[in-house]
Amino acid sequence: MRKSQHKMCTLLFLILSIVSVCCSMGVMADDAILRIATTNEVKSPAFIGDYTLGLFNHLSNPPLMQMDENGKLIGLLADHYEVSPDNTEWTFVIKDNQFWSDGTPVTADDVAFSIQMYGTSIPNAGWIGETLTDTQVDGNKVTFKFNKPYTNLALEFTSYSILPKHIWESIENPNEFTSTGPYVGAGPYYLDNVDLNAGKVIFKRNPSWKGKISDYDTVEISWFKNEDAAAKALESGIMDTYWKYASSYPYAAIDSLRKTGNFEMLEKPTSGLTFLGFNLKREPMSDPAFREAVSSAINYQELVDISTLGYGLVPNRGFVPPAMDGYIQTKPMEYNLETAKKTLDSAGYKDSDGNGIIEAADGKDITLDLLIRNSYAREAELIKEYLEKAGIGVEVRTVEDNTWFEMKDKLDYDITLTRTTPWGMLMHAGWATGYFDSRRTGQGVLHTVDDEVFLKLCDDILSTTDQTLLKEYAKEVQEYYAENLPGIPLYWKNDITPYNKKITGWYSNPLYGIMNEFTFTGVKSSA
Amino acid sequence: MVKIHPAGIFLSRKLLRYLLSFFCILLIVFLLPRMMPGDPVSNLVGEDIYLSQSTIDSLRAAFGLDTPLHEQFIRYCLQIMHGDLGYSYHMHGPVFEILISRAWWTLLYTIPSIIIGAWIGISLGARAGFQSGKWWSDVIASIALVISSTPPYLLSLLALVLFVYHLGLFPFKGFYDTYNLQSILYHLTLPTLVLISFYASRNILIMRGAVLTEKELLYPQFARSLGIPEREILFHHIRKNAIIPLIVLIALDFGFLFSGALFIEIVFSLSGMGSLMYDAILARDYPILTGSLLIIAIFVIIANITADIMSLIIDPRIRRSS
Repeated sequence: MRKSQHKMCTLLFLILSIVSVCCSMGVMADDAILRIATTNEVKSPAFIGDYTLGLFNHLSNPPLMQMDENGKLIGLLADHYEVSPDNTEWTFVIKDNQFWSDGTPVTADDVAFSIQMYGTSIPNAGWIGETLTDTQVDGNKVTFKFNKPYTNLALEFTSYSILPKHIWESIENPNEFTSTGPYVGAGPYYLDNVDLNAGKVIFKRNPSWKGKISDYDTVEISWFKNEDAAAKALESGIMDTYWKYASSYPYAAIDSLRKTGNFEMLEKPTSGLTFLGFNLKREPMSDPAFREAVSSAINYQELVDISTLGYGLVPNRGFVPPAMDGYIQTKPMEYNLETAKKTLDSAGYKDSDGNGIIEAADGKDITLDLLIRNSYAREAELIKEYLEKAGIGVEVRTVEDNTWFEMKDKLDYDITLTRTTPWGMLMHAGWATGYFDSRRTGQGVLHTVDDEVFLKLCDDILSTTDQTLLKEYAKEVQEYYAENLPGIPLYWKNDITPYNKKITGWYSNPLYGIMNEFTFTGVKSSA
Repeated sequence: MVKIHPAGIFLSRKLLRYLLSFFCILLIVFLLPRMMPGDPVSNLVGEDIYLSQSTIDSLRAAFGLDTPLHEQFIRYCLQIMHGDLGYSYHMHGPVFEILISRAWWTLLYTIPSIIIGAWIGISLGARAGFQSGKWWSDVIASIALVISSTPPYLLSLLALVLFVYHLGLFPFKGFYDTYNLQSILYHLTLPTLVLISFYASRNILIMRGAVLTEKELLYPQFARSLGIPEREILFHHIRKNAIIPLIVLIALDFGFLFSGALFIEIVFSLSGMGSLMYDAILARDYPILTGSLLIIAIFVIIANITADIMSLIIDPRIRRSS
């Protein structure tokens, strides 16, 4: 027995030794490193192929354009651009004094090469390959000719990182190319290392950068596999800020972070929103009166309170949030159960057998198939409860992401819950048209509206760059949503970005939040 | 005529059975994507991968999909023998390389956890069972019960909040901060301790229960009547018999060490095999999934063979029956 006790003591001693080593190691604070926590995980060190790395690499390989804090498009690598009257010829003038981190200057050739490479080698950018007919380089100007007008090209070019031709031209398959770095970049920082095992991406200051500089030599983006750990890491002070594409810092963790006294919150209304989509190819969802009744049955204020913990607003019928350029005021969504019941009744949906569920024209109970991904479980339960109170049966079907994409593409649902991202609100003809236009495809796209009026509106928007006309079209789109309700916005929300109060100079734009060049050239430590 | 040892025959039979099992798994992994409805190329690389026609054609040729099934199977076996498990378009790399790089890190903390968890479980469980009724035995059993009945994710999160957030003893995430032994030890200590506590608590409960049953049988009482010391009765007689069901469970732990590590990897943000397989399921990354399945099958078979050998050594009844 004594021998065993000895063994146990040895084990305990070993554990205590490790613990004391750990204590002595601690995390040394290093003021020259700006630390960003995220839950956007890098899965592979593929500079272009990995979705998340593709978001981060804008810092090292700036796209041609960017958004300012008001959502206006301004130049990033490009100084400015010119468009031909028919919207088919776009000329971008590249800024002077831009250098790759290996010392070579950024040229219009790099831009031409990058855009052509995306068109030929990157599946998601296939539209470039299909529409780009000619590329001309003249000094610091690069001109792209397309086979059809494309109004949103400048917006599209906020997302394509420009690559150094002298490095990437020898890479056979850029989409599949993997390397942990360093990668040559032209931004204020270059990507030094992608370390999947440490769970971080490290950016170092670009030695050839000629612009404004921040106080930080290194930017470290650390990803967490769960929000709870990320929130605790912030509270402990080892991270300076939190960023997740098209998302806020978890609302439930805000109060706890505030209590530390070390963080300020940057609160910005976002153009992303959560909405209820209808399968307009099926009865009774194709009936506007039925959609109207559904819209009256939803308790919007409760959804705002529960889902955004007060960091949101009851939306308007026009769908598009105020954070978006071209927003117009429409009637707010209104919860009125009696109105919902009356609307159903007058549209012929009656509960003849008295079982609490209304019947369709064929006499069968209406039980809607609500298709969701598991992240919408809480909202789905509330929607089910609201609709059942109005006499509409609901069965919630929860699936994982890929099954959801597949089923909504096959229109195998009655109603679904999903969200828009800031980018999604701008894609296609803008103002959320990309989610509804039946001619579109894509992961988050519902493509349920084939009304000629709506489709023509989209085409009109796509064929002009006239700002006055665009404003008018934006109004018409929102009026169309308000009248037809192809989707019901459930809540508008604000994105909260916490940041270390000892650091100043944060800048946020509606597309990528604080992840922009203004932030990374402007942040200063006041400690 | 050469006389084969009965244990040798027993093991040969088992080995043959395991080889047959592995062949069946190989056959299923090979046939599933080829027999499923739809284009076998998309079944082999993943449905939501966008590939150009030329890439699809070259993949079709590489898989030999226009040749007879038996030729495809031979080609497939040869590829596996050369460590070629295919290419993941989701992860942008060869499956074998990805699996090896991830498996190594997961094994680094799961194997010590299983071994230490088994050792603690057997030692403490045996004592707690043998001296049941004493206060410390009840305390050990209660702690083990609480730990093993707490959801793994919750317990890991509690450990993170207590030891990392409040006490600041360990880091929040990752296998290391800078690639060196000290940093790796620093990062893996807490995940390992949490995993040890799980394995140990379950093993304690099983071992305690088995010892409780064994000690009431006649043979310990006979040993006592012969004047054999209690300690010797426990360690030389009772423990040997009580450990047998636990050996099978520990072998199973080795089989499920990748998937069992998932909750640890999610809480401590570790990019190991558990999270790789989880992501592959969500992304329908079939090459990673089939590659993982083969590796898990190999682990399960090795673990079972080890358990059979251990049982053969420990249990004379198996030796006699074989």
